[in-house]
This record gives sequence, C-alpha cells and structure tokens, in this order.
Amino acid sequence: MAQSNRVNGKKVTARVAVVAAGVVSPLGFGLTETLDSLRNSRDCVSPVRRFSVEQCRCKTAGQISDERLLAARNDAPRPRRRLHRASHMMIQALNELLTQQPQFKPELTVIGTTSGGMSYGEDYYRSLHQAGKLRHAPTWIANYPAQKPVIDAQEAFGISSPGQVIANACASGTNAIGHAFECVRSGRYKRVLAGGYDALSEMVFVGFDSLQASTPDKCRPFDRNRTGMVLGEGAALLALENLDLAQQRGAPVLAEIIGYGISTDNYHITQPDPSGIGAQQAMERALHSAEISARDVDYINAHGTATVFNDTAEGKAISSLFNGVPVSSTKGMMGHSLGAAGAIEAIVCLLALQHQLLPPNINFAILDDNLDLNIVANEARPAVLHTALSNSFGFGGTNASILMRRSHRRQDYGGPVEA
Amino acid sequence: MSLAIAGMGWVTPLGSGIDSVWKRLLQGHEASATTVSESVSDRRYTTFRVPESALTGFAHSRLRRASVISRFAAAAGLEALHNAGVKLDSQSAERTALIFAISNGGVIYTKRFYRDILEAGAQSASPLLFPETVFNASASHLAAILGITGASYTLVGDGAVGIAAIRMAEDMMANERLDYCVVVGTEEVDWLLCDAYRLWRLLRPAPPIEPFSNQRSGMILGEGAGAILFAREGAITVERTHAGGFFTKRAQAAKILKTILRDLGHSEIDLVISSANGTFVDQAEHAALEEILPDVLVYTGKPALGESVGAAALWQVILAAQALQQRELPPVLHADSAVSLRLPHARTEIPQARQAIVLGCGLNQQAAGLRLAIR
Repeated sequence: MAQSNRVNGKKVTARVAVVAAGVVSPLGFGLTETLDSLRNSRDCVSPVRRFSVEQCRCKTAGQISDERLLAARNDAPRPRRRLHRASHMMIQALNELLTQQPQFKPELTVIGTTSGGMSYGEDYYRSLHQAGKLRHAPTWIANYPAQKPVIDAQEAFGISSPGQVIANACASGTNAIGHAFECVRSGRYKRVLAGGYDALSEMVFVGFDSLQASTPDKCRPFDRNRTGMVLGEGAALLALENLDLAQQRGAPVLAEIIGYGISTDNYHITQPDPSGIGAQQAMERALHSAEISARDVDYINAHGTATVFNDTAEGKAISSLFNGVPVSSTKGMMGHSLGAAGAIEAIVCLLALQHQLLPPNINFAILDDNLDLNIVANEARPAVLHTALSNSFGFGGTNASILMRRSHRRQDYGGPVEA
Repeated sequence: MSLAIAGMGWVTPLGSGIDSVWKRLLQGHEASATTVSESVSDRRYTTFRVPESALTGFAHSRLRRASVISRFAAAAGLEALHNAGVKLDSQSAERTALIFAISNGGVIYTKRFYRDILEAGAQSASPLLFPETVFNASASHLAAILGITGASYTLVGDGAVGIAAIRMAEDMMANERLDYCVVVGTEEVDWLLCDAYRLWRLLRPAPPIEPFSNQRSGMILGEGAGAILFAREGAITVERTHAGGFFTKRAQAAKILKTILRDLGHSEIDLVISSANGTFVDQAEHAALEEILPDVLVYTGKPALGESVGAAALWQVILAAQALQQRELPPVLHADSAVSLRLPHARTEIPQARQAIVLGCGLNQQAAGLRLAIR
C-alpha cells in the first residue's frame, strides 16, 4: 500500500518495528498472562454480570475483572478515580508498554474503538428516562466521548501527542495499526502509538443479540455447528517506530509490521459480501504492500467471529489465496472485543511470532463443510513462524489486514515476556 | 506535501449548496431557531436544524433507513464531487479514499434504540436500527453510493476532528496510490445532545451566539455536513496541517492554540477562521490570537450556523476557501464592537488575501489547525 511514498520528492519506505506492547483482555493483564492463556487454550468467556441479559439469547462474554482493573489503576503515575472502565484499560495497557520502553514518545497516537464510553451514555439516558438522579451526569458525559480514554491514558503518563480515533466498527483496531504503520513507513513519522479499546456495554450487547449474531452457545469459529459470536472487551497498544531509529537507540524489535491492506465491500451494512471479495482484497493488498506472496505467510489470525456469514466469507477468501496455512480465530477464547479486537489479535500474532506457537481455535469440532481451512484446533501448537497475518472485518463492509514478521535478531527474541 | 481543494459540498441550517449558503452568509443571514423537546423531560432547547428544503429531491435507495446524519453527509459528498466535475468509475473509486469526521454520530437512532430496550426490553430491540447507531454507518453509506472499494475511515472527536481528518488525508495522499480523498464532516442535532451540553454549561437557551463575549453565555447546536474533495492540484491548497494536541483543562486551551498559530503563522496570514461559539473556546482563541496574530481579520460562522461539532471544522475550511476565492468575508454576527480582535462586522472585501488559518478548538479537549493558500 505504501510502496512509493514521497517526502520532499524523495521516495521513502521505512521499515516499521514494534518496540513495545501492552494489553488487557479477558486472556489476562499483560503479555505474560496473555501468552499463558494462549498456551493453555484457556476459555475466558463467562456469564455477563454487568447488566441484565435475561431477555437476550446470548448470556456470556469475555470480560475483564473490575477488581483487577481498579486495583491496577494505582500503577499509573497519576491515578484518577472517576474515569470510565475503558480509560482504566487503556491506562493499564499503556503502563505495560511504557514499562518496556519508558522513553517512547510518540508523535501521533492512532486508536480504534467502536463505542467509546457508551455505558456512561446508557447511565445518563437511563437516569433521564427513569427520572433518576443526575448527580453523576456531568461525569458520565465528560467520560463518554470516544477520545476520552485515549486522552486519559496519555495524560496519565505525560504523553501529549495528537490523537486520531478511528471508529471503523470491528476493523477499527487493525485499521489503527495499519494507518500508524503507513505513517511510519512513509517517513512522515518516526514513532506512532497505535491500538484499540472497547468496553462491554448493554446497548452494544443487545444490538448484536437483536441481529442474532451472538450465540447462546459457545463461540465456535469455523465449526460446522457454529451459531454466532460472543462479545468481549479490552485494550491493546503497540509502539511503532522506524526500525533504523529503533535499532540505533538499542530498542528491542519485538516484530516488524510489514504490510497493511484495507478494502470496503459495500455489500450490506452488517453482512460481508458472501463471495469473500472484501476480505480477499484486504489480504491481497496487505501482501502487495509487504511485497511478499501468500506462500510466505505461516499463520493467519482470522477475524473468525463464528457467525455463519463472516466465517463463510472469510474462509472462502483465505482458501482462495492461501494453501493450507494454519488458521485460528482466538475469539472463542476471549470473545469479540470490537474496536480492541484487531489490536489484541495483533498482540496474539506478536506472541505467536516471538514464541513460535500457533494460537488455538477453541471449541472446534468439525470444519464447516463448505470451507477448506487448516484450523489450529483446540490446542496451541509449536511451529516455525516467520510471518503472520491478522484480519479484522466490520459493519459497513470495512475490511483490514496487517502482516507482521518475526524479528530475526537473536537479542530481540522473546522481548519483554521471555525473561 | 500539500493538498488541493478540488470540490466542496455544504448542507447547513442555512440550506445546502456552496454558492447558496455563502450568499446567505454574505447577506448576514442567521439560521432559523427550532425548539426540540423530549418526553423524558420538560426541558426544551433551541437549535439550528437543517431545513427540509435543503435535501429536497435528494434520495438514494441506500439511504432508505438511514438517519439524517447519513443523508447530510451523502448530499454534501455528492455535491463536492459534482462541483469538482469528478465522476468516479470503478478504477478511480479504487484510487479514492473516504474519511469521515464525526463527533456524536447517529445519536437519534442510538437514543431510540436504547429507549426501546428500556421501555420494552431487550427482545424488542430493532435489528434495523442497531447498524445505523455505529459511528461508521454514514461513511459506509457514502462509500456504497460512490462505489469506493479502498480506504474508508471514520474519525471520532470533537470540533477539531475535521482538521484531524484533513491531516489524515494529507498522510494518506502521501501515497501515490491515491488520486483523491473525500473528507466529510457530519453531525445531527438531538435533544439529548443539548441536554448534555447544558449540563456542561456550554449551551444557551436561545440565540444569538455572541462570539468573543466576556459573558461566555454559550452556544446553540447546529447540524449538517461539509465535504471537501482533495486532489493534488488546485487553486486552493492546504499548505500545512497542524495536528495540535489535547488540553486537559479548559484554561490550557489557549496555550495549545498559541502553539498552533505560531507554527502556522510563519508566513503572512490574512485571515483566521475561528471556532468561536460563545463558550470557553472564545476566550482561548481570543487570548491566542491577540498574542500571536493581533492584526489579522478573524471570522466565525457559528453565530449564523450554530456549533455543528463533527462538521464544524469542515465548515470552517469551506468558509476559508470561499473567502480566499471570492475575496470577501461575511459579517460576524452578534459580535460586540468592543471585542479587541479585528472582526468584520459588515461584509468585507479582502482583495489581497492569500492565506488563511483555520483554527479548531473543540469542546472535548482537542485542538488543531491548518493553513490554506490561494495560488
């Protein structure tokens, strides 16, 4: 995608390193816990307790413990108490990232989300509707905007870079990383902070339930008997830096981002083109951007929501481009965290590359008869991985894919988690 | 690199169409106030709504169930392409990116969807409404109408988000793969937004918006859309964007605005299109302008059009481009003559004007700016 950028008339294609990362998800707090959950194929989906799901078909989600989240807020140099959960997630993820690279000062921050502080919007409207007390309304409103958790996290650590908040539905996190990658690759920026966040909210939960996209069963991506998705939540951040500059200052290169593809399929606002053309174009463009062929890809972290429509279209697209490459969707383990999903899954790919393992596609029994995929069924497996692809697709026909490559410098192996 | 404006589209409370809205602004018109109410409260608010006549004759099957925010955006986007004389085919659509700037999004449908849940339970939630509550719904409708199959992004933020979107366009157009970038800012008004801004003490009960007044008596919300088709060549160029940053306290806004003005104001600036809207923004901009560019002409369109949040910065850029092209500025409405800035209190010719700064200071902590020039 960014093959021939020019800055001041000069062609620039910088290599883009991931020099630090942080994550909070149902799989755990931080890279170490996340890796442990992946290795142990942990099912981190649990009954929803934040709001009533009595009238919903789906009763479960991947959730983050409030107790841990609130306990962790004191880790921030400037802890604040009245923030939205999403802000605490972002602060936690940024804290982990900056622990690895305290001197990382981004020139730009690009973050994906779908719903910002939606649950505070719900609190506000519910109080109005039920003639309840509005004492907390100013706090709810102040913390509702989608950019607020980004600002809160930056403020907590004294980072003042301007931000772009991308809301491209479920592709937001991958779009954010992809756009950040292009910003560094083009030479216009040296360092960009990228990622995504989303916190579970009643309205969004009921919305997916109303579409019958979510399941009362387990989430079984690509399985013949799949019945839909479960939602999740979390935040994940990656520190992207011009690779040459990162190496000059001795920063570890956890992985490289080498390609990004984006497409819009315009088929339907909630359904992908059944032919898989949108997904296919995103993956093709990522390969073209990275100047590699499909044969060079060793692992695909699929969008794999376990809805009939997504998995059929994505499965077709994958098998049309790739021949037997291992595929898994990790959403069965942690749910679909919407705007955070692409960022969390980028970290799953990062860990897979660093630790040479194939993350598992849990709750899997039999492959959909119409698909021809090499699913990493139920258990994580050791594998030699050099290049991983991560897909994210969203409402509005928006599709995004990023390609990551293992760092081949011995001193960078393992990064922060393989102590 | 610089971006050039190839075409613009405008849907506002003063009607739609670049020429028509500009003419009304020059004549000193102000949008008609409309009262909005809600069953959950006795409170009523005054707003500047887009008149129905503004979208007369505009229809598309894709927009059948869409909220007004998507209609505004589509109408503005199509006008921008039409005014540029650009018709997208499958090849050119692939070389065209779409970037949306939004603040509150489809709040009317979002509220309705959630109200249904509260009143009748989750089982009554509408699967038709839910997709329209998603921030990128408007972008997906316009992408489908235009046949755009490549990059489409929706950025969320406050009144400065439109400038962030243009900066993103600049970043993306650095890539030779793209020929055009359509940037659209859009917003719809709803009682719920008015109530929220009232709680923040940013809203006034009725017009007029009094820009740069010491009273800080508040703003009136407006709605609509602004769209700009960016290309690489054209008479009006975005010479430089400034990503600005965020302020954590309102009192800090002036500091970041000064930095923006200082960085953008190296060359001779003839006018600044301000985001003054009757709130704390005015004091911050006043302080920054008085210190950095004390002699420059300052215009704000918000007393006439209202504060349109996500659409606001696109409207400001359209105003700046029109001023440079038409070589005149409309009058700033309801400004006290005692305000120490150089405001055009009447329609003012600016025959020598070559460069303008657009200053975006949002209500939710973001600030940014850009500099336009005419060749």
